[in-house]
Amino acid sequence: MLGFVVRRLISGIVLIFVISVIAYTLLYLGGGDIARRILGQAATAETVAAKSAELGLDRPLPVQYVDWITSAFQGDLGRSWFTGQLVADGVTSRLAVTLSIVIGATLISAIISVILGVLAARRGGWIDAVVQFISVIGFAIPSFLIALALVLVFAINLHLFKATGYIPITTSFSGWIASVTLPIAALSLGAIATVAQQVRGSVLDALSRDYVRTLRSRGLGMNRVVYKHVLRNAGGPALAVLAVQFIGLLGGAVIIEQIFALPGIGQLAVQATSSGDIPIVMGVVIATAIIVVIVNLLIDLAQAALNPKVRLS
Amino acid sequence: MFRWKVTAAVAITAALALTGCSADSNSGGDGGGSGGGTLTIGAITPPTTFDPAGSEWGNRSAFYQAVYDTLLLATPEGTIEPFLATEWSYNEDNTVLTLTLRDDVTFTDDSKLTASVVKLNLERFRDGTGPDAGYLAGTSFEAPDDTTLVITLDAPNPALLNYLTRDAGIVGSEASLTSPDLATNPVGSGPYILDTAATVTGTSYTYTKNPDYWNPDLQHYDTLTINVLQDATAGLNAVKAGEVNGLKLANNDNLAEVEGAGWTINANELDFQGLLLLDRAGTMNPALADVRVRQALNYAFDREALLTALQGGNGTVTGQVFPASSAAYDPALDDRYGYDPEKAKELLAEAGYADGLTISMPSSTVLGATTYTLIAQQLADIGVTVENTDPGNNFIADLLAPKFPAAFMALEQNPDWQLIQFMISPTAIFNPFKYEDPTVDALIAEIQNGDEATQEAKAKELNEYIVEQAWFAPFYRVQGSFATDANTTVEVLPTNAFPAIYDFKPKS
Repeated sequence: MLGFVVRRLISGIVLIFVISVIAYTLLYLGGGDIARRILGQAATAETVAAKSAELGLDRPLPVQYVDWITSAFQGDLGRSWFTGQLVADGVTSRLAVTLSIVIGATLISAIISVILGVLAARRGGWIDAVVQFISVIGFAIPSFLIALALVLVFAINLHLFKATGYIPITTSFSGWIASVTLPIAALSLGAIATVAQQVRGSVLDALSRDYVRTLRSRGLGMNRVVYKHVLRNAGGPALAVLAVQFIGLLGGAVIIEQIFALPGIGQLAVQATSSGDIPIVMGVVIATAIIVVIVNLLIDLAQAALNPKVRLS
Repeated sequence: MFRWKVTAAVAITAALALTGCSADSNSGGDGGGSGGGTLTIGAITPPTTFDPAGSEWGNRSAFYQAVYDTLLLATPEGTIEPFLATEWSYNEDNTVLTLTLRDDVTFTDDSKLTASVVKLNLERFRDGTGPDAGYLAGTSFEAPDDTTLVITLDAPNPALLNYLTRDAGIVGSEASLTSPDLATNPVGSGPYILDTAATVTGTSYTYTKNPDYWNPDLQHYDTLTINVLQDATAGLNAVKAGEVNGLKLANNDNLAEVEGAGWTINANELDFQGLLLLDRAGTMNPALADVRVRQALNYAFDREALLTALQGGNGTVTGQVFPASSAAYDPALDDRYGYDPEKAKELLAEAGYADGLTISMPSSTVLGATTYTLIAQQLADIGVTVENTDPGNNFIADLLAPKFPAAFMALEQNPDWQLIQFMISPTAIFNPFKYEDPTVDALIAEIQNGDEATQEAKAKELNEYIVEQAWFAPFYRVQGSFATDANTTVEVLPTNAFPAIYDFKPKS
């Protein structure tokens, strides 16, 4: 068990290293004349050259990368070229925003999906049909359209929630709720569609297994069978889907953060990538890669805990 | 009776809570007169740094103006007024500028404004790597006493006073200039103080009123928040939900919707859009050396139609690069080249290009695909083929390299001398082929060394000559729009994209 965790962590570190090399190279190749872009159209050629030298952009790519990764290993991710902010500060403060909405969306979609999935699998009939219909709709409508509709109704017309901006939970709890509810709702809908289908399939599959018939023949009630045994078996695949969803939501958050002007990591990544702010993009890439590695590890452990049959050697 | 009061209080509280989301942004209206309330405005882009030496103006000016004062003040009327400097005068040949500074100004770290602090700021700006460091090229500074600052110039610079109303004139406290956090934690003498705890760098900047400000008449609010709303949809949603009091619109696409929400559009015309015919010597494309070809390109465009198609008619067609607020401006020049494809073809034939010619230009997704299609179409009508290349992120770098003989571009129309230094003089950034013309050089010299009347007269001559020589093919001046809600008024500046922070007032 411990060996498994260590192996996964080592492969995770290697993965992050490889990602950093690729990301740095791609950014550098696509960056163009970054000093010119920082300074804008009015700057003189002399100022642009001076800025380039100041940022070390006049050195060869491998030298710049080695310099970056050496500092990174010492915990120094540098400062943004475009805002002067420490990368570590920028990434952590924005990670809080993104994780608020992504974790919120994951939890809400998990709860609703399980309820809907189990209902659909057990009851069948019209309930199943309705759940299936909702799933298809949730699948088909992109989250940004849902977001725009939600803003129109709940922020602009009803003034119940905020249309733009983020209020930290430490500043005001009700403000935080007002600022994250719509983004979470917009993100959740697509996730619910996917996960509910998965739960429904897994529960149906488990229900048709021999052990259910055996349990039933011993006189156990259907509710007991479903909640004690079937869900446990169906939980594994659902968890895996949920993990994929979580990582997918990190990506989906990019658009949602733009629409709601939320200072999240996705918005930061978009701004930094389009402007060529290499220190910030690298910070975002590394932070995201670490999250993905950790989530995958946690999911493996959770699955092992849930189902002794897949216990890790 | 008592119970009735409680009920009313509960009802009012509930009503306030229900409208809570909009209450914070509407509170700007509570102030009435000076002081009180919150102003929340939306900007298009965050500042790159709060370091005065790296500062910028244009769409970023408000972030700096809130914390820093400038030496001089640009007004909505287009004049330059005293600010940190109360008086200024040039010597006879305009090479020494002497400024008298206020003696009652303290920075928010309690240090005092002195001429030596100003000198330090100006030197840092000149020697730094800020985008406008070139503004102070060829200057040196002296501080003979605490309230006197002397700027010595290598050669007269008629734009210097204007530069001192902008980023070059920003003054930060001496101690803050060596702080490692200068980029994110500015210390100035301005009307507000940046609340770093409530600020999310790149997204939302919150300022509180500076209690010891020397000029309280300019403090119309207790709190100021500037949100960065880069996404046009987010900006529009913020307007409709009443989450901002004012918003700089990135373009004019949503004017009707913004006005429909009961907002006021405050407009100015700062940028012109059109073709820069850069290769006037014909080193890259020999055809452009012929003035008849450049004039033909000017006759090719139906400017009214382009303005309608590309800007929804929000702007004014023009044929010159000097702004309407300039002394050089001549309304007659806007009609110098009417839409006349036949005349264009004739001129091309006279110049020996009856069979047409090809011009390569850079294109950019930022300026929209329609723009390039329409330009190519109108030029095709006179037999000119456009070869578009998209240099991606290197658009400006390639344009200035120079890698293209001509380009469609949006450029800011600055006050005269600044404009000349920006796009006309042989050393101008947007004269990348360093094209020189003796007539232009002579006029520039007269403007640089002349008194105000000479400057204005010669600028007019220069403008007319440039139009006649067809250095550019301007299409129109684009309307810049700043929207304000029903509780807020603002006056826009004729020379800057963003209004001055002092000009926002609660409607009383």
